[in-house]
Amino acid sequence: MLPLDGVRVLDLSRYTAGPFCTRMLADYGADIVKVEDPNGGDPARYIGPFFHDEPDPEKSGLFLFLNTSKRSVTIDFKTERGKDLIKALVRSSDILIEGFPPGTMHSLGLGYETLAAENPKLVMTSITNFGQTGPYRDWQVTDLTLYAMAGDMWGSGDPELEPVKTAGRMATFHVGYAAALASSLALHSATMKGKGHWVDLSAYEATSQSIDFRLLRLMGYQYSQKVEPRLSPAATLGLANGVYPCSDGLFAFNVLPNAFPALLNMIGQSDLLEQPGWATIQARARPDAAEEFDVYLIPWTLEHTRKEIQKAAMEYGILGAPLNTIDGLMDDEHFRQRGFFETIDHPATGPIEYPGYNFAIHTGDGQPLPPRRPAPTLGQHTTEVLAELGYDGEAVARLRSQGVV
Amino acid sequence: MTTDRFDSGTGLPLDGLRILDITVVWAGPYGTMQLADWGAEIIRIESLHHFAASTRGIVARPPKGSPMVTSTGGMGYPDDEPGDRPWNRAASFNANSRNKRAMTVDMTKPEGQEVFEDLVRASDGLVENNAPTNMERIGVTWERLSKINPRLILIRQPAFGLDGPYKNYRTWGNHMEALSGHPLIRAYPDEDASRGPSGVPADAAGGIGGALAFMMGLRYREKTGKGLTIEVPSAQNFIPFLGDFIMDYTMNGRVHTQLGNQDLAIAPHQAYRCEGEERWVTIACRDDREFRALCEVMGNEGLADHPDYQDSLNRWNNRKQLDAIISQWTATQNARSVMERLQAVGVPAGQIMDEADAFADPHHRDRGFWQPLDHPEIPERSMEHAGPLFRMDGQLNTVRRAAPRLGEDNEYVYKEILGFSDEKYREFEESGHIGMDYDPSIA
Repeated sequence: MLPLDGVRVLDLSRYTAGPFCTRMLADYGADIVKVEDPNGGDPARYIGPFFHDEPDPEKSGLFLFLNTSKRSVTIDFKTERGKDLIKALVRSSDILIEGFPPGTMHSLGLGYETLAAENPKLVMTSITNFGQTGPYRDWQVTDLTLYAMAGDMWGSGDPELEPVKTAGRMATFHVGYAAALASSLALHSATMKGKGHWVDLSAYEATSQSIDFRLLRLMGYQYSQKVEPRLSPAATLGLANGVYPCSDGLFAFNVLPNAFPALLNMIGQSDLLEQPGWATIQARARPDAAEEFDVYLIPWTLEHTRKEIQKAAMEYGILGAPLNTIDGLMDDEHFRQRGFFETIDHPATGPIEYPGYNFAIHTGDGQPLPPRRPAPTLGQHTTEVLAELGYDGEAVARLRSQGVV
Repeated sequence: MTTDRFDSGTGLPLDGLRILDITVVWAGPYGTMQLADWGAEIIRIESLHHFAASTRGIVARPPKGSPMVTSTGGMGYPDDEPGDRPWNRAASFNANSRNKRAMTVDMTKPEGQEVFEDLVRASDGLVENNAPTNMERIGVTWERLSKINPRLILIRQPAFGLDGPYKNYRTWGNHMEALSGHPLIRAYPDEDASRGPSGVPADAAGGIGGALAFMMGLRYREKTGKGLTIEVPSAQNFIPFLGDFIMDYTMNGRVHTQLGNQDLAIAPHQAYRCEGEERWVTIACRDDREFRALCEVMGNEGLADHPDYQDSLNRWNNRKQLDAIISQWTATQNARSVMERLQAVGVPAGQIMDEADAFADPHHRDRGFWQPLDHPEIPERSMEHAGPLFRMDGQLNTVRRAAPRLGEDNEYVYKEILGFSDEKYREFEESGHIGMDYDPSIA
């Protein structure tokens, strides 16, 4: 059995953060009822990459990735009948996830208090850009501007070039992951206390609290009142820290002070340890040590491939890894051998490989996690879910003709 | 021996749960901090005879004046002064250790193992993120611990997994990212790829993943009465954060590299230099309306009708020219003012905030995000911490307790939880289990 077996999540969220959250909850057993607008559905269906580059609401790689193992129901909850359906679903749900601008649910007549009257144990997680209150409450963000304001963008990149964000939708996915944790914690509390919660998850705050350096630098600032411009890893951590060229690409090293002797063994320069300039941690911490040491390190890295250096680093206990492209990741023997990537067969694409489960559950009964189901086509489960609410075929047909579902 | 549960009386969701913490560096400690923030009693298990590299500082006793001490990159010390016990003053540790407790025991000795077993018996969970062989060596395996406490929730966060070719491959978050492809995707276009940034969103994801895994384990235990192991390999936990890039590869064979701040579909989408030193603003226009609004704020309405920029595709194709035009404008503007003026007309714009900007931010101040919390070994400063990851029922869950000093809670753990006598406690002190200083041989 899975931890969230029997938990129902009513998912009104769209785009990326909310769907990343419910993707996680689906992976660990929750029944996700994804409510989509009958006119086109989740806007993520229109965001690329598309299968074979054919724009099609059933072929968005972003949507397919984010919505595995969910059920799709189309409901226009701006209509009165639609609102009634949402309330009926709330009565049989444990968690509701929504990502509308602050105040939207309330103005639709679906605010937390109204819904809690239907189901006092309901957990409602509201994911917004800046939270439910405050002067930026109604401001807009994208992954870029969010990371700029709240993440460690100011400290990321080359000192002579512009600051750089993390790739793709990483900051937004982090927000979704935080929402999954928030929802699980609130669900635990609701289960123990018999009373639900309204969770206010601000993307701005969740990103500001991320350990992707920002949380650390905030503490550092409290300690020294200093802000430092973008620095190379060597300027922060000393010698043999940074990205090095090798015969077929790049390799990232972080050699800690106490791993220096092992590094010298690895590159065949153990004699250096007898020279006063390299003998002690104190000597090696001098400001120009990093540049001087590159004279020994770079000729060695240039003579070896990324794979060879990785193998040596593992053998000698040196922190480091090759810089791969995605194809290199997909070929990597470790993930292949562990069967990490999962092939999922969707009607619009056929079998495609997806990233596997974030974590694996090992129970006494030894049951592995089940294969995921493909993302739903738009409204695929409308009839099924309405039947669970007691609507027969005729009633569903009536709702369809009224444009409610 | 007593198994009384710690009750902080906070009414937080995880009140009454005790979790042992053998986490190192950032990902593991960040995850147990989330659980501590919400009421769990987290007890760090540490040894006076072993310094976990890059945890309570990069090394135990860093040389004064070295970058390890003076860097503000989250790795520094108060006013560049490591003090007599640097391991209690390292920003990189104290940033992610609030609301926790810390005890010491030498698990390489038989009586240390007995103490550990007693603790496992008195706890609900154990979270660790170490190389699997190191954990096997000190007896942290499900096979053994489940016999001591069959209800234990064991969260294991090795870098790559409990088995497989990389089982004992030790890395930091940035190395998992390198293997996964992240640094090459975010590297600068048209520049040497080695100049790109190196970050640790893998550690951020690892912390949230570890805490979420614990919540899943707790729910499983509530339903079945049984404990379990959850394996959260940090690399696997991070790879889904590149999900759309992976899908483009598996669907279309496309390999993205060196995108920098560029989006794959929209422009403008970049960081623009503003007036002053290292002042920047980011701007993204998702559609024609937002672009027209930007042009109006720039006082350059005509630009929105220029054939090179009048629709999304043209803007994207001519994005470098467009960035040059916008940069020319921002160069004489105040970054915060650009953000405010563009947000006022519904355009996503964000100042690239440094830490001083963040602490001064009116929105954070209005929501009370920064919370005061002093530290007993940093008497010279009053400090503020980032608030919780999220809020429940409008309440701001408070940051309650400073990061624990090495061995700070030994009396509590040995005497109150485990019920050892004062005499036995002194014996543990003499035999090197209990103390507040690392062995002098540790550099």
